[in-house]
Amino acid sequence: MRFTLTIGLTSFALCAFGQAPTQATNYGPPATSYVMEAAKYPDAAKKPTPHTADGHPDLNGVWHHYFGNLIAPVGDKSFTLDFRKSFGGANAPRATPDPEPQYKPEYLAKVKMLSENQVKEDGTLHCRPPGVPRIGPPQQIVMTPKQAVFLYADITGNQWRVIPLDGHSHSTDPDADFTADGDSVGHWEGDTLVVDVTRLGDDTWLADNGLFHSLKLHVTERLRRVGDTIQYQMTAEDPKVLAQPWTITRTLTLQFDTLGEAPACVDNDAGHYVNSEHHDNGR
Amino acid sequence: MKTKEYVLAAALLLSGLPLVAHHAVSAEFDDKKIVTLKGVISKVDWVNPHIFVYFDAKDENGKVTTWRLQSVPPMFFKGSGLTREKLSDGSDATVTVYPAKDGTEGFGFLVKLTYADGHFYNLGGGAAGPGPGAAPAK
Repeated sequence: MRFTLTIGLTSFALCAFGQAPTQATNYGPPATSYVMEAAKYPDAAKKPTPHTADGHPDLNGVWHHYFGNLIAPVGDKSFTLDFRKSFGGANAPRATPDPEPQYKPEYLAKVKMLSENQVKEDGTLHCRPPGVPRIGPPQQIVMTPKQAVFLYADITGNQWRVIPLDGHSHSTDPDADFTADGDSVGHWEGDTLVVDVTRLGDDTWLADNGLFHSLKLHVTERLRRVGDTIQYQMTAEDPKVLAQPWTITRTLTLQFDTLGEAPACVDNDAGHYVNSEHHDNGR
Repeated sequence: MKTKEYVLAAALLLSGLPLVAHHAVSAEFDDKKIVTLKGVISKVDWVNPHIFVYFDAKDENGKVTTWRLQSVPPMFFKGSGLTREKLSDGSDATVTVYPAKDGTEGFGFLVKLTYADGHFYNLGGGAAGPGPGAAPAK
């Protein structure tokens, strides 16, 4: 296993010029969790696409859960962590690796420094919100004709975004805060809901491994319902620190249970780390 | 398999990519040492990012020390059948623990709970014995 780790780190250390010399990006909830949900409902995309009364595709629903069932019963009363069983062994579906964000060369050292000090520098490890785009695709969507509400039962706690669809423009108030989830406005382009996000604070990251961004970050999310799936695309543009836009795609699969409330996040770890050994985050 | 390795295996599976450990247990806990305690669970904090189990350990002289034991994220339990209530049933148990590296007394990482009748909750992925919880090699 250590051999596997060495190979992985070496391959990323040899990545192309302009690319952050980090481990593989771990954007949003684990990519594999979406693939596994899709595998449980293989004909989801072939179902009819429902529409709301105003004629738009109906995006209402629960669309993702973090992993469950990672602890398996043994005999009558015992339980054990059993990843092999939970993931279906060697034949388990695996996600395709995401592209890495391409940083301008002068920012690679900062990414490396942040990544090497992730246990201290990554706010999500200390219960701070991941923010957009790191929060990932919506886990539940509530639609009204004038608003979309994105809900997330995140490991950092419950997060939500209210996205106006009634022609609102971005705030022009020069004193408006830059925040973790920013200023979102949405509109329909045909059957695709497009969400435009600005005013994103720079104390959150694009993903783990020190992938920081500047206040110039602009995120565009595109959601298109296909049957009982949503094709989700996120593009992050940061002309200050990124050499080019960074795009991630996910297929979300309709879930037939409730989202459930995330237990509160309590940072019990701060102050107990004795070194900076990397702490990846399943987000 | 040591916890450091199991969490690495978890990260591999969670991401489908070769990542380093999901939780760098070794930045906080000493996975080279195992402390064995006898006592009862007095409280379970069902919180993100890891649940905390409070364990009233009783030594040979009957002195009780409450240990605060970090475990896995609450989402790992969803749908498994192992509930917070089952964890807090108050029965006598033996627990194996990785102690804190920073020397904080009564603070550790919960590896495995074993009850008097033999049933167990192995949340450390095999560090307390290979068992079926051992993570796959990749």
